Amino acid sequence: MGKHVITMLPGEGTGPEICEAVRRVIDHSGVEIVWEYEDIGLDCLKEHGTLLPEKTIKSIAKNKIAIKGPTTTPIGTGHKSANVTLRKMFDLYANVRPAKLIPVLKRPWDKIDILTFRENTEDSYAAIEHMVSDEVAQCLKVITWPGSVRIAEFAFKWAKANGRKKIYCVHKANIMKMTDGLFLEAFREVAKKHPDIESGDIIVDNCSMQLVRNPAQFDCLVLPNLYGDILSDLCAGLVGGLGFAPGANIGDNCSIFEAVHGSAPKYAGMKKVNPSAVLLSGVMMLRWLGENAAAEKIEKGMNKVLAEGKTLTYDAGGTASTDEYADAIIKAMK
Amino acid sequence: MLTKSTVNRAKRPAKPITLVGVDVYIITEEGIPMFDDYGAFKIEFVSNRGTKVWPGYVSDDLMMVNWYRCRFMATRPVTDADVDTFMVSLSKKWKWSAAQKLWNYGDEAGFSKAY
Repeated sequence: MGKHVITMLPGEGTGPEICEAVRRVIDHSGVEIVWEYEDIGLDCLKEHGTLLPEKTIKSIAKNKIAIKGPTTTPIGTGHKSANVTLRKMFDLYANVRPAKLIPVLKRPWDKIDILTFRENTEDSYAAIEHMVSDEVAQCLKVITWPGSVRIAEFAFKWAKANGRKKIYCVHKANIMKMTDGLFLEAFREVAKKHPDIESGDIIVDNCSMQLVRNPAQFDCLVLPNLYGDILSDLCAGLVGGLGFAPGANIGDNCSIFEAVHGSAPKYAGMKKVNPSAVLLSGVMMLRWLGENAAAEKIEKGMNKVLAEGKTLTYDAGGTASTDEYADAIIKAMK
Repeated sequence: MLTKSTVNRAKRPAKPITLVGVDVYIITEEGIPMFDDYGAFKIEFVSNRGTKVWPGYVSDDLMMVNWYRCRFMATRPVTDADVDTFMVSLSKKWKWSAAQKLWNYGDEAGFSKAY
């Protein structure tokens, strides 16, 4: 395949050192990529007065694909999330997160292979909040028919293309009959068009309990934004934590691949953080680009390093630095 | 034993409240609504599902539904009566589903910005 031009957003905190390690591994996979480095996040806010400079926006809009390191969002007050801004600006409506067991990480289950499809632009993330009196805060939960149909359509198409068998819609339509009711109704309409994939629905609280008790029963989950945010982290926890949890934010015209963990500012510059989540996001990106051989090569290299267990980062029980771990993967890929 | 009579309702420390604008949720099939000058209030932004579609970067993809949040900020000190007059003027041209007054609490805005 030809050269790809990809926007690289290293982010802040440990983001730049992680992204550099990831870039080195991807560049050794045989795929030809021209990286366009652009700023995003808190450091950018201090330097340029904005989380997302015009130059960064233009690069993403031009290349239509980006990979992103972590950024920080303050809790309760302060600036808005750079992640949510990007998702909304480029209408990246499908957040896809696989949760699959990693061989080296000992977990109490034999099999977990769950794909979550989180609607990424609506729900209580519409950012419509008001103090409606001095004692009452209100947040609008916005669920739309077109938004619900397209995430369901996306999930069924992705599932079919990847040989998945079963999709469950996760909701709380027994209580939120209008909003979650609409989401569920849209899912059921879309499911009728895909009889070859088994479909069903499950209430979010029951789903949480079932995921912890017997995660092997689940294949694909489609969720509104908030439940998707929470349960995709739960799924990541089941397979070994956020250090190994990749993610893709996909729209009709643009895609941004990113790890879901934070920027871990207290470890910035120490080069000890696990880059696997961003690297696996890169693997998802390569597959999205049709670069399956390169993706396979990286994944096999990483699994080999993890299985050998000699060069692991601290969160996986080792003492290797970010760079040593990346070097080991590059070596294992040869 | 804890009884109803011993439980006091929690009170949040009071701050001075100032009316500074109004969010109006407008329904239209004509795309991004554009507004005339309404005197005491001026349009600041229009969002669709919480995402700003005017002014600034706009993609047709963002206009998913026919329901727009339109934020009008006061151009001078205003009262509830100014909001009433404004809404009467607005209603002559636009169909709206809801309106929410925007207040500052002390120095802090009691409302979120659009993405």
